[in-house]
Amino acid sequence: MRLLRHRTGAFLAAVALLWAGWEAYLALSAPRRLDPALAGALAPGARLDVAVTLGFAPEDFHIRLFQGHGVVSGVRGTTVMLDRVAADDVRRIARYYWVRRVAPRGGAS
Amino acid sequence: MTRLETAATWAVLLAALLGAWSVAAATLPVPDYVLPSPAAVVASLGDLVVKGILPTYVAESLRRIVTAGLVALVVGVPAGLLLGTSRRVADFAYPILNFFQSVSGIAWLPLMLVWFGMGERTIVVAVNYTVLFPVIFNALLGVRSVPRIYVNALRTLGASRLRIVTDVMLPGALPSIATGLRLGLAYGWRALIAAEMLVGAHGLGFMIFSAQAFHLTARIMLGMAVIGALWLVLDYFVLRPIEQATITRWGLVQR
Amino acid sequence: MSVPAAGARAAAGRSRVGAAMPRAGSTARGALPFAVLVVAWAAVHRAGILPPIFLPGPGDVARVAWEMALDGSLAANIGASLGRLLVGIVVSVPVAIALGIVVALDRRLARVLEPIAGFFNALSGIAWLPLAVTWFGLGWTSVTFIMANTIFFLVFFNTLVGVRTVPRIFEQAVRTLGGRRRHVILQVMLPGALPSIVTGIRMSIGFGWRALIAAEMIATSTGLGFLIFNASNFHQTDAILAGIITIGVLWLLTDRLVLQPLERWTVERWGLVTS
Repeated sequence: MRLLRHRTGAFLAAVALLWAGWEAYLALSAPRRLDPALAGALAPGARLDVAVTLGFAPEDFHIRLFQGHGVVSGVRGTTVMLDRVAADDVRRIARYYWVRRVAPRGGAS
Repeated sequence: MTRLETAATWAVLLAALLGAWSVAAATLPVPDYVLPSPAAVVASLGDLVVKGILPTYVAESLRRIVTAGLVALVVGVPAGLLLGTSRRVADFAYPILNFFQSVSGIAWLPLMLVWFGMGERTIVVAVNYTVLFPVIFNALLGVRSVPRIYVNALRTLGASRLRIVTDVMLPGALPSIATGLRLGLAYGWRALIAAEMLVGAHGLGFMIFSAQAFHLTARIMLGMAVIGALWLVLDYFVLRPIEQATITRWGLVQR
Repeated sequence: MSVPAAGARAAAGRSRVGAAMPRAGSTARGALPFAVLVVAWAAVHRAGILPPIFLPGPGDVARVAWEMALDGSLAANIGASLGRLLVGIVVSVPVAIALGIVVALDRRLARVLEPIAGFFNALSGIAWLPLAVTWFGLGWTSVTFIMANTIFFLVFFNTLVGVRTVPRIFEQAVRTLGGRRRHVILQVMLPGALPSIVTGIRMSIGFGWRALIAAEMIATSTGLGFLIFNASNFHQTDAILAGIITIGVLWLLTDRLVLQPLERWTVERWGLVTS
């Protein structure tokens, strides 16, 4: 049982700590990614058109991921255009650490 | 052999291996995608992490295998204990469990595809099944292997049936259960990778499988390394110590 | 170490429990649970709890199996799978054992290579499929390669560990008596490592068989894995179940008739205790 305490316990504790720390980081850093222009528009029930800027050209993985949050209407360089994204989804998108910015587009909601 | 010597031998071996690999990658008359250089594989690690692909897939695969392990424990241990307490039931269940354990979850995948289609549920059922049966089977074996004399001793002291289970059967079966969990997760991890390849609902298996279609061989190799490393970490830090601990504490000497 | 210990314990568990479990000989006893299972299955099917497309009855499955047997497709697929298994075993096992012993003779090299072998062991199986397909394309080469390397790495690792854990004093005793390397290998290393090696063989075939079925689903067009996966594309659940039962039965037969006796014969013959 002592072996358990040393290796497994330490490992699980480390994993738990790292995970908690990471989730905290994600939660704290998310607001920074939202463009200030969005601030007012994030009312519950609102559906926005946004432009999500990444640090790289999006791959299949990212497109499919975004399709779960809204309608992908186009890709321009490192930016993905998403339509009809719910407010909650906008916040979720901002949580991804690989997203640079989420900005509104000129479009009706 | 001292630590320093081992480390030195390691370093030399590693350097030699990487060197040979790099040279081969550069000089072999094959297309680039057949043998990417070590540098390319490392670069793909950075690439996949920066883009958030690797952490997402790793998290998905881990989530699936960990839940399968927990389900196997929560469902399999009581089931195995229950089946094992009565000799006649155990004799009856043994060949059936043996058979179902032999048919890996992956073999059930086509049926699951018909039932649930291409989605998360198919993967979950197949993987949970794969981990579950070795646990039930080994729990049953563990209970059966507890020497009768312990049970009888407790009975003479007037213990209730429940007491016998918790004080004798369960501890006596624990080494076997730990082994069963380890084996089940070993099968399950591999079944998971295969299921992710077939069903395409994200995960490490899907990552390396889809990388092949685009000839992103560096990603394939990286994915393989991650798959192996994750299993080693899980085994070394969690499964093996638990198995060792149960044996040390509750391992029974068999005649 | 771990894998051989776990395997040995599981194997020992099986034979240890042999005292408490029905012996292999009482086939009638062994068949009864399955008979009951089939009856229960038929009852569930008759009761119509699930639509027949989801759960065909034993009769349907037997009929399809019979048809497949008659038109030769069942035999062809069984032959393909078993053939690959055989090739994989014949190619991998001797090489793995030989290599393992050769490496393990140099204890320093063994200590260094063991973790590497462990890593490749952890990696073994279906994870090699995309790489194999990149190198060999779709087809039996990739599939056999995957299974062969699953078997190879596990047997190699177990051989390494098995030889390494042979107490040095035996080796030294043989050398003191004037034995040469050849004697050390044949009379100390090989018998000493045998439980680990045989457990490794048994386990590796288990893993290898599973990897084979999975690989056949993805990368080739013959074999039992392909049979059941293909049937799922046409929603032929009766054919799927026939295939699944075949896979299970084949494995049980291999284990019972070949692997367990092998283990009993080699390990018990030399009076070695496994755990």
